[in-house]
Amino acid sequence: MSDCGWLSDRMPTVALGRAQWTEEEARHLSDCPSCRGEWELVQLSSHLGQGVAAELDPGSTTRAVFQRLERARQEDRLRRQSWTFAALAMAAAMAAVVWTGRPITRPVAPLAGPVVAASLLIPLPELDNLDPAELNTVLQTIDEPLLGGQTDSPGSGALDDDDLEGVLNIWEG
Amino acid sequence: MSAFTTPQSATSTPESDPALVDAYRRGNERAAAELIERHIAALGRFLYSSGADRDEVDDLVQEAFFRAFRRLATWRGEASFRSWLFTIGGNLLRDQVRSRKGRRVLSLNDRDIPSASDPEADLAAGEAAERVRYGLTQLTRLQREVFLLRAQEGSEYGDIAVALGTTPGAARVHYHHAVKRLKELVR
Repeated sequence: MSDCGWLSDRMPTVALGRAQWTEEEARHLSDCPSCRGEWELVQLSSHLGQGVAAELDPGSTTRAVFQRLERARQEDRLRRQSWTFAALAMAAAMAAVVWTGRPITRPVAPLAGPVVAASLLIPLPELDNLDPAELNTVLQTIDEPLLGGQTDSPGSGALDDDDLEGVLNIWEG
Repeated sequence: MSAFTTPQSATSTPESDPALVDAYRRGNERAAAELIERHIAALGRFLYSSGADRDEVDDLVQEAFFRAFRRLATWRGEASFRSWLFTIGGNLLRDQVRSRKGRRVLSLNDRDIPSASDPEADLAAGEAAERVRYGLTQLTRLQREVFLLRAQEGSEYGDIAVALGTTPGAARVHYHHAVKRLKELVR
């Protein structure tokens, strides 16, 4: 390493008072403008801001930092608790789904049976004027099979085997 | 003299930074108080020299310590605690400068003139120091931080390299570039 390089490496240590120049180094310093310029810079920089540093109060800084750390810890705890509650709520919802065996669905509205029945009511003011006996007679008439239960179509029991086979052949093609 | 001692060290030398950090991690707040007391002045000087306004230094120092203790798990002891602290402070200052859209204003009232018996010498020293401080703000961040860690702390290039995420060789180059540029700016 050159003398200038060596001196450059030693400058901070000497500027901070941790070492002293040797006679040889001091001689080089006085003869070398480049090293002298660097030495002035290092000296000035090593003491820069000492007045500002002296104004700082370690006690009040410590108190302020501790207060902020405590507040931050409380916020962390609250955040963790919120997440825990959210996780528990989610787990409870999942458990409910598993327990019932099917997803929870919205309740279905009951069928509108009474509404349909109501819409089929046909007002018959004529019936309102009848006394109970007349009304009963009318209702019996409505309930009786038309033509005493006789129809034009014969029942299958009235067919003999040949007729029945003929009808079946017609139906089945 | 340190106020923080453990039963084992009551009669011995002050605790090292890693020991204090370990103690704080175990819940000993007095260890944190000792770390603050030990490094507050150096951090304040570093921030002021890097361009922080005089009235901002206190807040920046407080914020840097707060963040350091919150992120203590990320300090692995490869770089010194002080270098790591300076890096946090440097990041804060960079963010502050960005929030002011890059303006770095050095007020004349910010001068850090040491009290001495010779007013003329004081003034000359103050002006020279202010020129250096202005020059430092014109360097790149790496140049400035390498230079200040060398000039104010006497840190070795290896330690600086770990703290700033570079190599010792690159740190040496940054230092020499810083010196060259400062000579031009301060002339």
